[in-house]
Amino acid sequence: MSAGVAMPTSNDPFYAGLGQAVRIGTELLASLAVGGGLGWAADTYLFGSGPWGLVIGLIVGVAAGIRNAMRAAKNWPK
Amino acid sequence: MEESPLHPFELHELIPISLFGLDISINKAVILMWIVVGLAAMLLVIGGSARKLVPTKLQSLAELLVDFIRGIILDTMGQDGMKFFPLIATLFVFILFSNLLGLIPGSYTVTSQIIVTAVFAVSVYALSVALGFMLHGIKFLGILVPPGTPGWLLPLMIPIELVSQLARPVSLAVRLFANMTAGHTILGVLFGLAIGGGLLIGWLPFAFTIAMNGLEVGIAFIQAYIFTVLSCVYLGDAVTLHGHGDAHAH
Repeated sequence: MSAGVAMPTSNDPFYAGLGQAVRIGTELLASLAVGGGLGWAADTYLFGSGPWGLVIGLIVGVAAGIRNAMRAAKNWPK
Repeated sequence: MEESPLHPFELHELIPISLFGLDISINKAVILMWIVVGLAAMLLVIGGSARKLVPTKLQSLAELLVDFIRGIILDTMGQDGMKFFPLIATLFVFILFSNLLGLIPGSYTVTSQIIVTAVFAVSVYALSVALGFMLHGIKFLGILVPPGTPGWLLPLMIPIELVSQLARPVSLAVRLFANMTAGHTILGVLFGLAIGGGLLIGWLPFAFTIAMNGLEVGIAFIQAYIFTVLSCVYLGDAVTLHGHGDAHAH
C-alpha cells in the first residue's frame, strides 16, 4: 500500500491499473444505460412503439459500450 | 449496532431555508463543501503568496499541485490547453479535497452524492459541445463519423457514436460517485463487523479498515486524476475535432 505523500497516480502502476480497470467498467455500463434509456424514451414519449425502441437502444448501447471500452483499453498503462 | 452501512450517506437538514419554493437548506454536504473551498483557497493563497526561491512547506505543496495539473493539461491538450487551466485546476482541486476530506472519520464525502458529480460532468461535457460548435460550426458533427468509415456503414455508425458521445458525461459522473460510495460502504461494513465482533475477533475487521483507508487515499487521488484527465480529453476533442482523443491519455 504505497499511498505516498507525492501524487501516487502518476507513476504507481498499481493505481494506474486500478484506475484503468474501473474506467472500462463504467464505460460499458454508461453506454448501455444511455442506449437503453434513449430507446425507452423514444418508445414512451415519441412513438409508442412497444418494446422495439428499448431493444434497439440496448443493442446500440452495447455496441457503443464495447467501442468506448476498447478506446479506453488502447492506452493501457505499461 | 443495527445500522445500515448506507446510513452515513443520508443527509439531514441542519438549517432549513426555503427561497421562492426552492429548498436550499444547509446540510452536512453543504458545510463540507464550504470547508473544502476554504481549505483549498487557504493552501493556494497562502502557499502562492510567499514566492520564495527556497519554498516553504506550504509553498512546495501548492507548487506540486499546480505543476501536476499543468502536466495533465500539457499531456492531453498540449500548449493550447493552458487556456483551460483555471477550469481544470478548480475541478481537480475541488474533487481531490472533497475525496480526501471525506476519509476523515465523522466527516462527509461530497462526491458520494451523484448530483454533485453529475453537475461537474454535465457542465464539462456541455462546455466541450458548445466549444466544438463555436470553433467548427456544423463541421463539429463530424465527430460522429469515425475516420475511414465506408458510406454504407454510416446508418449504423452514427447512432453508435451518438450513444457513445452521450455516455461520456454519464460515465464521468457515475465513475466518481460509484467509487466514493463503494469505498465508504466497504468501510462502513467493516466497522460494523469490528463493533459487532467484540474484542475477541473484532480487531481483525478493524485492522482491515485501516488497510482500506490507505487504499481509499490512493483511490481519492486516482479518481480526481481520472476525472480531470477525461475532462481534458473531452475538451481537447472539441478543440482539435479528432473525436477519438484518448490517444494521449494515460
